[in-house]
Amino acid sequence: MARPVSHPALVAAIVRKDLREFSRDRLWLILTIVGLVMFIAVFWMLPGTVDETIRVGVTPPDLAETLLGLSAEEGEVAPGQDDAEGQETQGLEVVRFDSEEKLRAVVAGETDGPDVAVGLAFPDDFAGLTARGDPVTVTVYVESGVPAEVRQAMESAVREIVYFAAGAAEGVDPMDVVPVRQETVVLGEDRAGEQVSMRERMRPLLAFFVLMMESLALAGLIAVEIQRRTVTALLVTPASLTDVLAAKSLLGTTLAFFEAVLMLALTRSFGAGWSVLLAAALLGAVIVTGMALISGAAGKDFMGTLFLSMALLVPLAIPAVTVLFPGSTATWVKALPTYGVMEAFVRVTSYGESWVDLWGPLALAALWCVAVFGVGLLVLRRKVRTL
Amino acid sequence: MSGPAIEVDGVSYAYGDREAVKGISFKVAPGEVLGFLGPNGAGKSTTIKILTGQLPAKSGVARVLGRDVRRDDPEIQRHIGVCFEEKNLYEGMTAEENLKFFASLFGLKGVDTTRLLERVGLADRAKTRVAGFSKGMRQRLMVARALVNQPMVLFLDEPTDGLDPVSSKAIRGLIEEEARRGAAVLLTTHDMWEADELSHRVAFINEGQLYAVDTPESLKLRYGKRSVKVRARVGGEVVEDSVALDAEDTGERLKEAVAAEGLLTIHTEEATLESIFIQMTGRGLD
Repeated sequence: MARPVSHPALVAAIVRKDLREFSRDRLWLILTIVGLVMFIAVFWMLPGTVDETIRVGVTPPDLAETLLGLSAEEGEVAPGQDDAEGQETQGLEVVRFDSEEKLRAVVAGETDGPDVAVGLAFPDDFAGLTARGDPVTVTVYVESGVPAEVRQAMESAVREIVYFAAGAAEGVDPMDVVPVRQETVVLGEDRAGEQVSMRERMRPLLAFFVLMMESLALAGLIAVEIQRRTVTALLVTPASLTDVLAAKSLLGTTLAFFEAVLMLALTRSFGAGWSVLLAAALLGAVIVTGMALISGAAGKDFMGTLFLSMALLVPLAIPAVTVLFPGSTATWVKALPTYGVMEAFVRVTSYGESWVDLWGPLALAALWCVAVFGVGLLVLRRKVRTL
Repeated sequence: MSGPAIEVDGVSYAYGDREAVKGISFKVAPGEVLGFLGPNGAGKSTTIKILTGQLPAKSGVARVLGRDVRRDDPEIQRHIGVCFEEKNLYEGMTAEENLKFFASLFGLKGVDTTRLLERVGLADRAKTRVAGFSKGMRQRLMVARALVNQPMVLFLDEPTDGLDPVSSKAIRGLIEEEARRGAAVLLTTHDMWEADELSHRVAFINEGQLYAVDTPESLKLRYGKRSVKVRARVGGEVVEDSVALDAEDTGERLKEAVAAEGLLTIHTEEATLESIFIQMTGRGLD
């Protein structure tokens, strides 16, 4: 004879059943394992450091020698690597340009040429002008993303060159002697101070892929439960619709959270800000589970569910993609549900930020969690009621 | 319990503007099998959905085991078994796992799934995943699942659909066993012969309305002809004659028929449930 069953026991029974089904879905199992291994492998294969060699373009060409000479005099080893266009000391490679237009175009990435991050454009008759004490303007072209320290170093280099050219007395600022004006032109969006390695940049995107895969798997499970009407078989037992919804939500969130945490752990992401990362992973898991409830309930068949899942998840990937291009985050991207989660991943792992710095984006993500999850539950409840 | 196991009083339901069930009333006693007969779209499944708590009645009262089904009462769900028309089984799980999972939802541990599977002829397929089952095997497992909690009320929607004659007979035997155990059974079927054989009473439903709820015998007596059909070979041809049982010369005519050379068959002209249904509703069951 049947006995009263508590709601937690009913939820646990449904979760166990779903886990059994999950574990027997070869496609999902293979995708999960291969995906996780692949994403982690990709992470470790990506360069973990930033190339610190700065390639500087100089025009007119004869000032390149002066710049290299100054660099060597400051104690840097000057191996004197010669090639058709440039010479290099450690950490600094100088490329000669015939004209300011070409230099500017190369720094801006508007034309083919050597990958030059900074361009120094002196007047053609720079030496003569400075010697005569005539006013000159030096333009420093900077590629967006060049760190502020490098910009400052280049501006210092200009001062040194002016000093060298003007022959001013030691201890006297040549700028006081020669009326030289520096203009710094940042080409592209200013990303100074945002230098992180490609590996670090990819971390949020890879974590999102892991969450997305779990979302797709859960959506598929829900869709099958609805399409085969097994959910109606559950609802004529002591299990209520609330128990069913709780089981699906619990399973989806737990699996997505577990995999995201595993991915973060295997990419050595946990440090001082571990609690922020865990919170962000949990919020991300809840958001993608909410999306899975929507797409699983609304999809008419496998392809429909897949299409709907992708349509819902692709916009959520945008914040993870914008991390690849620091400084390019538009305001509307900051309003997306996953923005806070991705921000937390980046700023904790790359810059060591904490709750104090990240409570705002995470609070916004938490609000999104409530909204997305709430809509997901409503859509699924409505769908089941109309079966 | 002493009262009816199922009690439906003036229940209505509408899908939007379309009235699917129009104020129907009937009762099913414990140990009774009620055959619920009607064509597709007549309102049979909607009635079952209301009684199993899947749909709320728009008006009227439906009670199962004396409790109002509108209250989403788990006490009702604990004592009912439902065999759906669609084969909604977990295909990635074995027959045994399906039964054990549903048993766990009823708080039952150590359910003798082997015995249950034996009753539906699937004991040797206990460890086979449902995905590898034929339509008939799935149907038999559906019936076994409905019995997992030894229900006091059974809702069976086309339980022998797609089964071969041997399996159908086994399922019919099982339904009779459950009724003898004391379970009230609400059985929907298209098979008039099956309804006739299994049901203590039948209910005719069409376009959401109940036309009759009575024993098959009563309906046949009420709507059938009181006559016998005599078939005989006369001069190389088969000739049929109908003899009214209530006429003054009935005795004489029957004597003549029995004595005549070439007599082939004599049958009572009893009405079938299908012919009665058509007579009452003006439409067939298909």
